[in-house]
Amino acid sequence: MTSPLSAPITSSKRLKIEIGVVAVIAIFLIVIFPLLNAWGMVSNFHVSLWGKYLCYALLAISVDLLWGYTGLLSLGQALFFSLGGYMMGMHLMLMIGELGKYAEAGKNPNGLPDFMIFLGYTTLPDFWKPFFSFGFSMAMVVLIPGLVAYVFGFLAFRSRIKGVYFSILTQALTYCASLMFFQNNLLMGGNNGFTDFKRILGHTFADPATYRWLYIATAITLVLVYVGCRVLSRTKFGMVQQAIRDGENRVLFSGYAAAHFKLFVFVLAALIASVAGALFVPQAGIINPEEMKPEKSLEAVVWVAVGGRATLAGPIIGAISINALKSWATRAFPDSWLLILGGLFIIVVLFLPGGIVSIPGKISAFYKARFSKKS
Amino acid sequence: MIVPTPFRLSLFALLCALFSVSAAAADTPRQIVAKAILTENSAARREVIGTLVGQGDESVAALFTAWREDALFIHSSADGAKTPVQLTGEKDSAGRQNALRVDDGQLLNGPDGKPLRLSASELTVVQHDRMLRLSMKAVIDLLDLAASSPAKRIQAVQTLGFAQDAEKLPALINRLSLEQDAKVKIALREAIALIQLKSADDAVKLAALKELKDLHTLASTDFIKAAQKEAEAAKKPELAEAARIALGAVENHRTAVNFFGTLFRGLSAGSILLVVALGLAITFGLMRVINMAHGEMIAIGAYTTYIVQNVFGSGLALSPFGLSFTIPGMNTTGLAYESYFLFALPLSFLTAAAVGIALERTVIQFLYRRPLESLLATWGVSLVLQQLLKLIFGSNNVQVSSPSYLSGNWTVFDVVFGWNRVFVIGFAVVIVFGIWMILTKTPLGLLMRAVMQNRGMASCMGVRTERVNMMTFGLGSGLAGLAGAFVSQLGNVGPFLGQNYIVDCFMTVVVGGVGNIAGTVISALGIGMADQSLQQILGNPVLGKICVLIAIILFLQWRPAGLFVTRSRSLDE
Repeated sequence: MTSPLSAPITSSKRLKIEIGVVAVIAIFLIVIFPLLNAWGMVSNFHVSLWGKYLCYALLAISVDLLWGYTGLLSLGQALFFSLGGYMMGMHLMLMIGELGKYAEAGKNPNGLPDFMIFLGYTTLPDFWKPFFSFGFSMAMVVLIPGLVAYVFGFLAFRSRIKGVYFSILTQALTYCASLMFFQNNLLMGGNNGFTDFKRILGHTFADPATYRWLYIATAITLVLVYVGCRVLSRTKFGMVQQAIRDGENRVLFSGYAAAHFKLFVFVLAALIASVAGALFVPQAGIINPEEMKPEKSLEAVVWVAVGGRATLAGPIIGAISINALKSWATRAFPDSWLLILGGLFIIVVLFLPGGIVSIPGKISAFYKARFSKKS
Repeated sequence: MIVPTPFRLSLFALLCALFSVSAAAADTPRQIVAKAILTENSAARREVIGTLVGQGDESVAALFTAWREDALFIHSSADGAKTPVQLTGEKDSAGRQNALRVDDGQLLNGPDGKPLRLSASELTVVQHDRMLRLSMKAVIDLLDLAASSPAKRIQAVQTLGFAQDAEKLPALINRLSLEQDAKVKIALREAIALIQLKSADDAVKLAALKELKDLHTLASTDFIKAAQKEAEAAKKPELAEAARIALGAVENHRTAVNFFGTLFRGLSAGSILLVVALGLAITFGLMRVINMAHGEMIAIGAYTTYIVQNVFGSGLALSPFGLSFTIPGMNTTGLAYESYFLFALPLSFLTAAAVGIALERTVIQFLYRRPLESLLATWGVSLVLQQLLKLIFGSNNVQVSSPSYLSGNWTVFDVVFGWNRVFVIGFAVVIVFGIWMILTKTPLGLLMRAVMQNRGMASCMGVRTERVNMMTFGLGSGLAGLAGAFVSQLGNVGPFLGQNYIVDCFMTVVVGGVGNIAGTVISALGIGMADQSLQQILGNPVLGKICVLIAIILFLQWRPAGLFVTRSRSLDE
């Protein structure tokens, strides 16, 4: 369907350069940036802002893994992002404990999240109880979205739903889930979701150091995911994955069970998105069903498209630059932000299918063409 | 419980009196009032007035008011004949006024045939006492029973019935013997039976329950339940059994009403879905363009209706981008104003079609070979359009008022048929037929199908594919606009209106199978029906919707290409 957008790197010299660049960026992100914050040279606001950007970058990588590398345009990544966020949110809600409004007023002896008391509950529902444990919550961050992705992916790929149909179905799934989470009687906070977190692992959110450590955790995760996906894309598995994108029927006829490959990638992408969500929620301080709306998934696809699909740097660059643009534009031009985003998107899709990362290549190709003409 | 005999007797006597009077109902209410005025004995006078219960008209209320305000007089002519009159009109210098006869509302003429001019001082004031005023009040209270509009009568009857006031029973029975309208008759029978449920006599109660069973009106449920409880408490198995049977009849009726109501709502929901999704069935189904801006085409149609409505009304002031200008209004009223919708329909089609054609020329024509990219680019377009609509019309919802011929109801056997929904169903039929005609019976339709089946081949045969693409996309967008005009009748119009429909639209087309109008029709009706019946069964609209979405996902497991598969030899189709 699409032409191969990324040529596998052949020369070992280029690989060494890449490793060097990634290492430098990783050290800057993980070590230097937090240190600058600790020394007071970078504001706390920027640490938490960049923490969120890096979470978005993780989400963008998960979209790219599906869309750029496997040719599956999933509009359901926001669902997995939110599910991860909700699992983390449940733990954080229980950690509020005696600091909640009702508890301070002495009306919450059983340590319920405030919204449940508001709904008239007096005891904690059973499915909430294990979330007192951080370890269990983290296990759920992986298990729940993984399970949802597995079941949905199994059904979808088994009946060979692909292309546009896959996009529409994932969108419907996300829409369905957002409707569900808007319901109060699901006991997941209804349309207010979870917010007003007080502490994580015993550290209070009043302390900037908590955000710094959350940022560091996010940066490490991002680097690990980047390296992992980079390695994966060079293995035989990665090759089959990209072959599915370029000609699924030929892969089938060559004897590969394309459905299994797709299912694996789908679940993997869901897990990455879910972890991103779990890291995002404590830094953003809120999770609600708005995060699951279909347009959130589409937004993540925009990041990938603008940054450059079928590359791993592209989604990161796209996620960070668009969100930085958004932070600036929603303040500078609150009325026209959607016009800018929409227009940018149309232009990139029409005129720059390779995204930002393809610009240097285009420029050098342009100069090469001029140079060779002259000679 | 044994009823005191005197009470029974007096009830009997009263009934006899009522029936005897109604037998001689040749007297108009005015004549009866006149008769009452001339009756000297106050008890007899009250009795005459009592006969007015349930059959007085508006003139009686006015007369009674005049009576209480000492504005009714008795005029004695020279030959001793007494005529009750009411003085009206301007007083002249001698304080004289025109006199209206109470019995027919005409001017009182003197012996010379000319209207008499009388002053209050020459006449005898008609007296009234407390008891008389009470009986007048009883008549006025029940005046609505004889109102000229049947709907008003039904309402009055129901109010009386639900109050279960035994004192009103004779009036209702009296009215039943006079009533001509079948619906009011049923309401009267219901009210009488409801009041009789409170009767002390078991036989009357039993008869009332039987009557309620025959009528099986929805409103009687609670009363029958109360009667059943009372009978059980009083250990009267016969009554309890009768109540149970009556309740069963009502419940059966309710089930039937709910069933047909759900059927109708499902049909109308399906029709709305169909109207909204048909445009997409063309752009997505035939052209394979994933137009995420389809929802905004709907919104454009809805806003066009809004503008047309305001042009027919008092105009519209808009202030987009810091500019401000006013669209002048024609200030029409009545039928001319209400005809705005008939103009809005073609205009919303044309506006959305124009926007669609512009969109096709600027963006989509470059993306025919990249369907997934068309999804992304059109999503960008959708964001831009949403924001533009918001900037032009404001982020608040605007109200589009329904013309009166679309806002009424039509109730058949307790099932309510909203006119707008009936209209949508009819309209869906017309549109589907129209699309089918265009696609199969016109040269344009032939070219459309040719281009959609094989763009390259059609081009080789000399078809101007670019033009056909443009027209097809315009048609699809125009249909969305038309849908918008309808959607504006069903709820508020806002810049994000389209977002409510986009997921459902795609679902409908995917389930129906792309490239197939018949599939879209069946899937829209099916989804609408399933949605409405699940809402009814689960009692929760959101849960119903979730179930429908899950059902669709499972359905696509079974038929991945939708209901109707377009067969093709191409491998990657």
